[in-house]
Amino acid sequence: MTETFYEVMRRQGITRRSFMKYCSLTATALGLGPAFVPKIAHAMETKPRIPILWLHGLECTCCSESFIRSAHPLAKDVILSMVSLDYDDTIMAAAGHQAEAIIEETIEKYNGNYILAVEGNPPLNQDGMSCIIGGKPFLDQLTHAAEHCKAIISWGSCASYGCVQAAAPNPTQATPVHKVIHNKPIIKVPGCPPIAEVMTAVVTYILTFERMPELDRQGRPKMFYSQRIHDKCYRRPHFDAGQFVESWDDEAARKGYCLYKMGCKGPTTYNACSTIRWNEGTSFPIQAGHGCIGCSEDGFWDKGSWYARLTDIPQFGVEANADKVGATAAAVVGTATAAHIAASAVKRAMQKDAQPGSQKGDE
Amino acid sequence: MSTGQQTEHELYRSEPAVYVYEAPVRIWHWVNALCITVLCVTGYFIGSPLPTMPGEASDHFLMGYIRFAHFAAGYVLAIGFLYRILWAFLGNHHARQLFVVPITNLNWWKGVMHEAKWYAFLTKEPHKYVGHNPLALLFMHVMLVWGTVFMIFTGFALYGEGTGMGSWQFEWFSSWIIPLFGQSQDVHTWHHLIMWVIICFIIMHVYVAIREDIMSRQSMVSTMISGWRTFKDNRAVDDED
Amino acid sequence: MSIIKTPNGYDLDSSGRRVVVDPVTRIEGHMRCEVNVDDNNVIRNAVSSGTMWRGLEVILKGRDPRDAWAFVERICGVCTGCHALTSVRAVEDALGIRIPPNAHLIREIMAKTLQVHDHVVHFYHLHALDWVNPVNALKADPKATSQLQQMVSPAHPMSSPGYFRDIQTRIRKFVESGQLGPFKNGYWDNPAYKLPPEADLMAVAHYLEALDLQKDFVKVHTVFGGKNPHPNYLVGGVPCAINMDGDLSAGAPLNMERLNFVKARINEMVAFCNNVLIPDVLAIASFYKDWLYGGGLGAYSVMDYGAYPKVNYDKSTDQLPGGVILNGNWNEVFPVDPRDPEQVQEFVAHSWYSYPDEKMGLHPWDGVTEPNFKLGPNFKGTKTNIQEMDEAAKYSWIKAPRWRGHAVEVGPLSRYTLAYVQGVDYVKNQVDTSVAAFNKLAGTELGAKSVLQSTIGRTLARALEAQYCADMMVDDWTELMGNIKNGDTTTANMEKWDPKTWPKEAKGVGTVAAPRGALGHWIKIKDGRIENYQCVVPTTWNGSPRDPAGNIGAFEASLMNTPMERPDEPVEILRSLHSFDPCLACSTHVMSEDGQELVRVKVR
Repeated sequence: MTETFYEVMRRQGITRRSFMKYCSLTATALGLGPAFVPKIAHAMETKPRIPILWLHGLECTCCSESFIRSAHPLAKDVILSMVSLDYDDTIMAAAGHQAEAIIEETIEKYNGNYILAVEGNPPLNQDGMSCIIGGKPFLDQLTHAAEHCKAIISWGSCASYGCVQAAAPNPTQATPVHKVIHNKPIIKVPGCPPIAEVMTAVVTYILTFERMPELDRQGRPKMFYSQRIHDKCYRRPHFDAGQFVESWDDEAARKGYCLYKMGCKGPTTYNACSTIRWNEGTSFPIQAGHGCIGCSEDGFWDKGSWYARLTDIPQFGVEANADKVGATAAAVVGTATAAHIAASAVKRAMQKDAQPGSQKGDE
Repeated sequence: MSTGQQTEHELYRSEPAVYVYEAPVRIWHWVNALCITVLCVTGYFIGSPLPTMPGEASDHFLMGYIRFAHFAAGYVLAIGFLYRILWAFLGNHHARQLFVVPITNLNWWKGVMHEAKWYAFLTKEPHKYVGHNPLALLFMHVMLVWGTVFMIFTGFALYGEGTGMGSWQFEWFSSWIIPLFGQSQDVHTWHHLIMWVIICFIIMHVYVAIREDIMSRQSMVSTMISGWRTFKDNRAVDDED
Repeated sequence: MSIIKTPNGYDLDSSGRRVVVDPVTRIEGHMRCEVNVDDNNVIRNAVSSGTMWRGLEVILKGRDPRDAWAFVERICGVCTGCHALTSVRAVEDALGIRIPPNAHLIREIMAKTLQVHDHVVHFYHLHALDWVNPVNALKADPKATSQLQQMVSPAHPMSSPGYFRDIQTRIRKFVESGQLGPFKNGYWDNPAYKLPPEADLMAVAHYLEALDLQKDFVKVHTVFGGKNPHPNYLVGGVPCAINMDGDLSAGAPLNMERLNFVKARINEMVAFCNNVLIPDVLAIASFYKDWLYGGGLGAYSVMDYGAYPKVNYDKSTDQLPGGVILNGNWNEVFPVDPRDPEQVQEFVAHSWYSYPDEKMGLHPWDGVTEPNFKLGPNFKGTKTNIQEMDEAAKYSWIKAPRWRGHAVEVGPLSRYTLAYVQGVDYVKNQVDTSVAAFNKLAGTELGAKSVLQSTIGRTLARALEAQYCADMMVDDWTELMGNIKNGDTTTANMEKWDPKTWPKEAKGVGTVAAPRGALGHWIKIKDGRIENYQCVVPTTWNGSPRDPAGNIGAFEASLMNTPMERPDEPVEILRSLHSFDPCLACSTHVMSEDGQELVRVKVR
């Protein structure tokens, strides 16, 4: 017997009446008429929990760790009642070939109907053997599981962008998922890690509305990645006022002034940290006194120090940024101009001495 | 230009003065100059803010004003640029020159070389131009057309990040420019770098305009005020169409 | 094949049937294990292989040392923060920066929070399924379970028969749905599981309770570091400034409410360790009293750098003192110096790296990391589809660190052995009490040494350490409040923040008692940039392959001579490996930039 969405809801203490109300709300949200309510109710009463294969490539498991910190819904409710987490080598009981067999079973039973969640990314150097699963490159497992899935969720900055192992010089050639899988819809949920409640919200959105959340051009769900940290930061009034922390633990730091001058990347980082906050809304980096390091942005490891306002431009040397490069260039141009003025003056004086009135002679 | 041509030119004496820059072009020039100054100064302070103001946040709005000035000047610069493009169609042929560089014209390139030699003190006398000299045109075209386009596009992309998804600034600019550069920080860096390139250009532009006023064969600074180009000799001009 | 005698006293016999476990699950990262079993299904040869690396140390070269903490923090998201802490310590050591007492206390509270969180999540969510059979819990009588709960832990409030019946119903529905999720393909009919149904049900209930509570423990990190996983750190102190009642203190990182919030979480941790974790471990252990396998090097050859000083920068005040014990001689503790080039050395004879002379070991300050992915002549399969490793050649991405050439185990059990032997009162009391409780529950009369030198001992030590850390946090919090009361609110020392104040060249080392054992980072700084960075992490010690002398590492040693119920179902292998809490993303080193590109997929 397979437990359905309806049974799950009933078991969690939801009455038939509120279940039907939920179905009609869903129908409205999907833009369907009241005639569809019984159909949705029927589907929910008979639908099994959606299987998820959660693969791990080169990563640090921070995404899984974040996921289990979700407060609403609780991770246990997601795992026991909402989805069927068939493969996740961080928490699954089986190991070795019993674990590998699950992937094949899921592909066979739910071909085209399971969700592939990827944490980490495949390395391509060394024949892919810098990440070995079952004696083979992780890339093999990834492409195999991706071929039969319905959609892919790229958890975190590793799967979405490459993250720390892809920072220069990217020794293993760690490559984000969308660069090796081209024929499946991919939802990127970047962050190192993403916020727990954002992760579970993406999953529950898909389950509830039976569709992908609306994505921006970079493939991120708009509902969480459409605004910068800076736009909703509680320290924003201090930014507008021109009140900044100038040094760690100075008076301004104690007063909670803006961390812009300490290199906070909030103004260039799209994430929900300043709205949803972290760990059940407890706090977020800026509230705890450290600037944002921009962990949900592509290539944030190679954009200069966490503590520099301006991005490093390594092509001009290790300590260069736009102001240093620009001011140097302006100084060179200014000096050259001054030299040119002097040369012009000398030249003009010499011409006048040599041929006084020579130009006038033509007239 | 062959020597023969030059002798032929010498037979014809040029007009003492030509009306080159119509009022709309002159107004644009000075408004644009003001905008660029405001944008550079405020832009610099956005990147490296002034020392902290003490007291309540609600008592101050310094960064807010600096950013407001930057955005306002940015809008004026962008609208002015559109207006300048429009005037290229409506105005005299000098109004079009900035936008049309005769890169396929070998003689024009020779003119560029000649001007370069003039600045390098390798030739005794510059050519005489009613419009922009070729080297000036090359620089101004790159900086004032493409530099401005770059700054308007990246500027609006950054501005659109604040106005947010759904705003026209975001949809028209941010939505594609930010991913094109990688991420927001890269756009900031490029916007910042090109500011310095423009500052370098302005140093040269101002210096050369004054120098030309003194040392070349035609007026410069006053032309951008009155619109009339006057000449210091009455030999034929080199850029007669 | 003949029997190989290792210098550290093991007889390796690879003539029996080969059993391969890949992937080893419920660990951090990727790992492979191969064993040979004899005719009685007893493990006679063990091979553990780290199967991933990411090259972080290469990535760090040339970067700002003040940024390094965030890079190395991403080595591991499970023991999140401990690499960051080690990194800021290494940088501060190199540059001669001394942090203020408040910063030290806040870092201590964060480090101990991690210990409690990591140990709890490890025991319930990574390790428990090696002992606990959730399917068997369906047979339990909720009333009897309630009685068991009240017997092992009278203080735990969630113990009514109705509570356990609800959980049993939930598990039943879950199992009956046919979609077993993470419990799919488990070894639920394997006789290696020995708990009665009531103990299984109680453990399953606590699996779920711990899952709910662990997310609250880490909120300590969220207050001090802004987020978890991966809270923020700072060279020179902590970024969270204190403002108790000054202007604008409502928006300050730390004020009275924030510190009370932290205290509430500390109290929860103390209660959970006392009322749930320790009783569970002892109860489960007593049912496995006949399964005292898996000791290996545990409590026998052990090492730790020492941790949790009462007075910062005074190693003599360490609340978990360091040292080395060799070959089970508890009467002699050698001192450890991570700076001494003769003590900590890494070997690569059986690792996929090359050294100029592979018989020699290198101290981390002089560490070399040249990749050399090469399989031995007797391996089976192809280069990208390995069937069986050849352990006579190179077989792991993990290097082999040794202390003066000796293979040692690190981890909570090692720290507890050292603390017990060196007479730390709290630890002595904990160990003696829990060994007595174990004997009472199991009806045995074992000494501390025989209980500790086992897989169960390793798991017990981890639980005891969680309890100790929770209690130490109470002291740290009280001391922090005392400092603030005395008018000291400083949280960062910025004297040497500016690289202009740094020496041209500097080198430093930072050590931390990470949840999995002794962690050290070695850094060399030149002209304000990182010149060399090496991490030697706990799982590198424990999961190390053989060294040039042939010594096997702690993982391999722990598997030796363990009987398996069913060789195809690696419950016993997982049980002993999990008792180390392996962290493979941590353990594996780096490679140079010139790896060969694989042209089997189109990258765009």
